[in-house]
Amino acid sequence: MIRLAGVTKSFGSQRVLNALDLEIPSEEITVILGRSGSGKSVILKHIIGLMTPDSGKIYINDKDITRLNERELNEVRKQFGMLFQDAALFDSMTVGENVAFPLVEHTRLPKKEIQRIVEEKLRQVGLPGVAEKMPSELSGGMRKRAGLARAIALDPKIILFDEPITGLDPIMSDAIDDLIVNTQRQTRATCVVISHDIASTFKIAHNIAMLYEGQIIEFGSPEAIRNSSHPFIRQFIKREAPGWNAGP
Amino acid sequence: MTKLTVEAKVGVFVVMGIVILGYMAMKVGKLSLMREKGYDVEVFFDSVSGLAPDVPVEIAGVEVGRVRDISLVDGMARVVLRIKPGVKIKKDAKAVIRTRGILGDKYITLGKGSPSAPDIKPGQRLWRTEPAMDLDALMGTLQDVAADIKSLSSSLTGVLGGAEGKATLKAIFNNFKEMVQTLNNTVQKNRDNIDVIVANLTDFSKTLKELGGVNVKDIQKIIENLSQASDRLGTVMEGMNRIVSRVNAGKGNIGRLLNEEEAIDNLNAALASLREISEKINQGQGTIGKLVNEEETAEKINTALTGINDYLQKQETFRTYVDYRGEYLFEHEWAKSYFTLRIQPKEDKYYLFQVVDDPAGKEKVTRIRREVDGQIVEEERVELEDELKFSAQIAKRYYNLGLRGGFFESTGGVAIDYYLLDDRLTFSLEAFDFDWEDNPHLKFIANFSPIHHIYLTAGYDDFINDEGQESFFLGAGIQFADEDIKTLITNVPIPTH
Amino acid sequence: MAMMNFFEYAGRPFVGILEEFGRVMLLFLSAAVWAFRPPFRLRQVFKQMEAVGVNSLPVVLITAVSSGMVLALQSYYGFRMFGGESLVGATVALSMTREIGPVFTALMVTGRAGSAMAAEIGTMRVKEQIDALYAMSVNPVQFLVMPRVLAGMVTLPVLTVVSDFIGIVGGYFVGGQLLGINSGVFMARIYEMLDLNDIFNGLIKAVCFGLILSVVSCYKGFYTTGGAEGVGRAATQAVVISTVSIFISDFFLTAVMF
Ligand SMILES: Nc1ncnc2c1ncn2[C@@H]1O[C@H](COP(=O)(O)OP(=O)(O)OP(=O)(O)O)[C@@H](O)[C@H]1O
Ligand SMILES: [Mg+2]
Repeated sequence: MIRLAGVTKSFGSQRVLNALDLEIPSEEITVILGRSGSGKSVILKHIIGLMTPDSGKIYINDKDITRLNERELNEVRKQFGMLFQDAALFDSMTVGENVAFPLVEHTRLPKKEIQRIVEEKLRQVGLPGVAEKMPSELSGGMRKRAGLARAIALDPKIILFDEPITGLDPIMSDAIDDLIVNTQRQTRATCVVISHDIASTFKIAHNIAMLYEGQIIEFGSPEAIRNSSHPFIRQFIKREAPGWNAGP
Repeated sequence: MTKLTVEAKVGVFVVMGIVILGYMAMKVGKLSLMREKGYDVEVFFDSVSGLAPDVPVEIAGVEVGRVRDISLVDGMARVVLRIKPGVKIKKDAKAVIRTRGILGDKYITLGKGSPSAPDIKPGQRLWRTEPAMDLDALMGTLQDVAADIKSLSSSLTGVLGGAEGKATLKAIFNNFKEMVQTLNNTVQKNRDNIDVIVANLTDFSKTLKELGGVNVKDIQKIIENLSQASDRLGTVMEGMNRIVSRVNAGKGNIGRLLNEEEAIDNLNAALASLREISEKINQGQGTIGKLVNEEETAEKINTALTGINDYLQKQETFRTYVDYRGEYLFEHEWAKSYFTLRIQPKEDKYYLFQVVDDPAGKEKVTRIRREVDGQIVEEERVELEDELKFSAQIAKRYYNLGLRGGFFESTGGVAIDYYLLDDRLTFSLEAFDFDWEDNPHLKFIANFSPIHHIYLTAGYDDFINDEGQESFFLGAGIQFADEDIKTLITNVPIPTH
Repeated sequence: MAMMNFFEYAGRPFVGILEEFGRVMLLFLSAAVWAFRPPFRLRQVFKQMEAVGVNSLPVVLITAVSSGMVLALQSYYGFRMFGGESLVGATVALSMTREIGPVFTALMVTGRAGSAMAAEIGTMRVKEQIDALYAMSVNPVQFLVMPRVLAGMVTLPVLTVVSDFIGIVGGYFVGGQLLGINSGVFMARIYEMLDLNDIFNGLIKAVCFGLILSVVSCYKGFYTTGGAEGVGRAATQAVVISTVSIFISDFFLTAVMF
């Protein structure tokens, strides 16, 4: 279980997270929705310990990671897989080497086995046969999917997806949604997904968290969110509620 | 041509640098990296002021070696000369410290010695030396001489009063001349002999030392004889000493010494007897002379020595080695380590027992049950695990070639070794893990030992494997023989309770 | 109060420089510590040795041979005035091994590999690839900085040896072949004047320079901010700061060694 308690984070004078509380249930898919620039990526980076909150605590399986040193943090991070918003593939390695990276680093699998897993993961994300290419030779959407393959290569316990389907065509988006759902079902991982796509969200989510002005204003099942009366949520998911002013 | 791997390129690059550096270092060559070949000879001087290690040693102006070490032994300066191989030096050659130019560097020059003298053997001492002509010492002597001359001349003025004085003076000078001549002659004649005696004695005592505890009876006899001889030599020496001290005491007073006929007689007698002895020795008379000159004795000693040597050699060939090495496999990025015990009953045969820690020795297959779309699917996952493996081999060697057979990392196998550079460089090819399914495990290893006990290892592992397991490896090892271990153990302080 | 402000104002750049120097040292220390912790990342080290060493070889060779030739030419004109032409070889050899070999090599490598290090690591920083390393429990100092620093320290002396040698060869070509100095005398003077210590001290310098340029370049890359523009700035600053540091440390190393 992942729990953020009273997390506050500011960049200069800009307060991005404001005493944010969020509890992400284990072995389920939780989607975080919010406007662009509202701090969704910042939340993910806090969860994996890349950013430390100005105040507040972050618990991963009841362990407060804000108090850990680098080595202990590394141990915690070994349970994680993360897809960065811009994929963050290593430019100096081929796509195959990128996907193999966590396997090479943290397992003692024989080369052949690693190769097999890499090919399987790349096939799952719809990129068979690109293992030898360099990331710079791929399109943005392809890079994102390669990043996805790297994130799930180790079958991690917790997977963080920062906008997995943004920039993909509808058919591919659908396939990636299926992949996330299937992967989660197979490995019973805790998945945190950031998304802007309402249709996709309702298709994959067990829970939805709504981020607005540095706080989670609503957390619940897709059904509950759909029936929410909060004007911002109504506007966000149904493009309704005229009169709602377009935020800050 | 296939593309060079990164490792190969970097390897070539670094080796090129080392080769160029080595070439330049050799050319510039004031500081040769390797220990020079050749043999050591020691010389003792009263003073080696200004002499430094690594200055040249010359014979007739030709460099024949370098000063290797200077140390203080019993108030004398002990200088070790490293003489180039093949350069022969006579035992009675004289070592002199010279200076190049007035303020120039010191160096050592060796005389050519007498043609009949034997060549010096490695480790022996050159006895004849001449101290450095020190400028201070020279001035000191000159002052003494000047004082003597002054006192002499003042007494002379007193004596040179009349005709009688003149006659006395003449007589004195004649005596003086005569004496100096005799002295010179005797000393010159006998000096070489004395040197030879001393050289023989040191040689002999060295032989005795080598002889060790065997042949006790013979040695006892020899020692008896020796002590008799040295007793006689002792009385002679005592006489000599007495004379010399008297000469010294009478230094400022030449006149008195000249009139003391007894002293001159004594001196002459002593020298004569000394010469007699040494001549006798040379001709094989007397006990020492017999020992040194008679073929029979020499043979006896020789056979005794060879017997001891044989015995010791037999002991020596039985050796045990303990060896630890680590290899880093680049392809897999893990390290394998080997602990080896090598028992070598004969020079050309050994048994090898080895424990190998292979971080990827074993394949662990785990079955994972997964639920896919409501169905349960079973999946296999192969992971590599740490495993200890064992080797036990028998090896036989023919000159530079060695063959090994037995167990290699818990499978059957054979190997061929090629030894170079006094065994400091070895190439090995091992083949093991033969089974029907895939190619045998082949491993090529090159070991190089730059210094004792330590070696570097590099090679290519499993290179005809068809599963992509081949890997370049690099590593290092340490090796100790049983005697090293003994010294290690005995030198390590053991805490007592 | 006004005084206070003045000192604060005047002192700020110094404090800034000291602070930056401290952070460079910290990065170096952490790279040094990580060098002794498994995994040892030899693969990365070899890759960097190729990038820093092998790939810099052509520029270093060209620089060395031309500086050796120019040195021979210029010193020839000087020595000819008092008939000391035979000293040209020794002059070239001593200047190459003591100064020009290590310094020019370090400068060329800074321009070629130092800027690349800063740009590469800087790009990884702004494109969140360093974050990705952290996220995958891989320490970026060990993965990125340590191999580059080690490669710099190992390859610089190798390049310098090659540079020394090629420079002397260039000087020999100009002096012995073109200007007609007797080549036997030319070489004899080199052997006479050149000491192995000259070569070794030059190599010690090279190790120091390799350390400086790689640590500075990695530092600049590692703390890049501000997107693509920031990467460009990091690369430029890496070259400028490395170059200046190399010259300053050269002075002190020379003062200590010769
Ligand atoms: N490293 C940083 N330094 C300064 N400001 C930052 C930093 N990271 C994020 N921010 C600021 O925090 C805010 C939230 O950024 P974040 O990347 O979390 O947005 P987001 O919700 O992921 O938006 P998007 O959907 O467009 O990705 C932004 O206003 C951004 O300017
Ligand atoms: Mg974002």
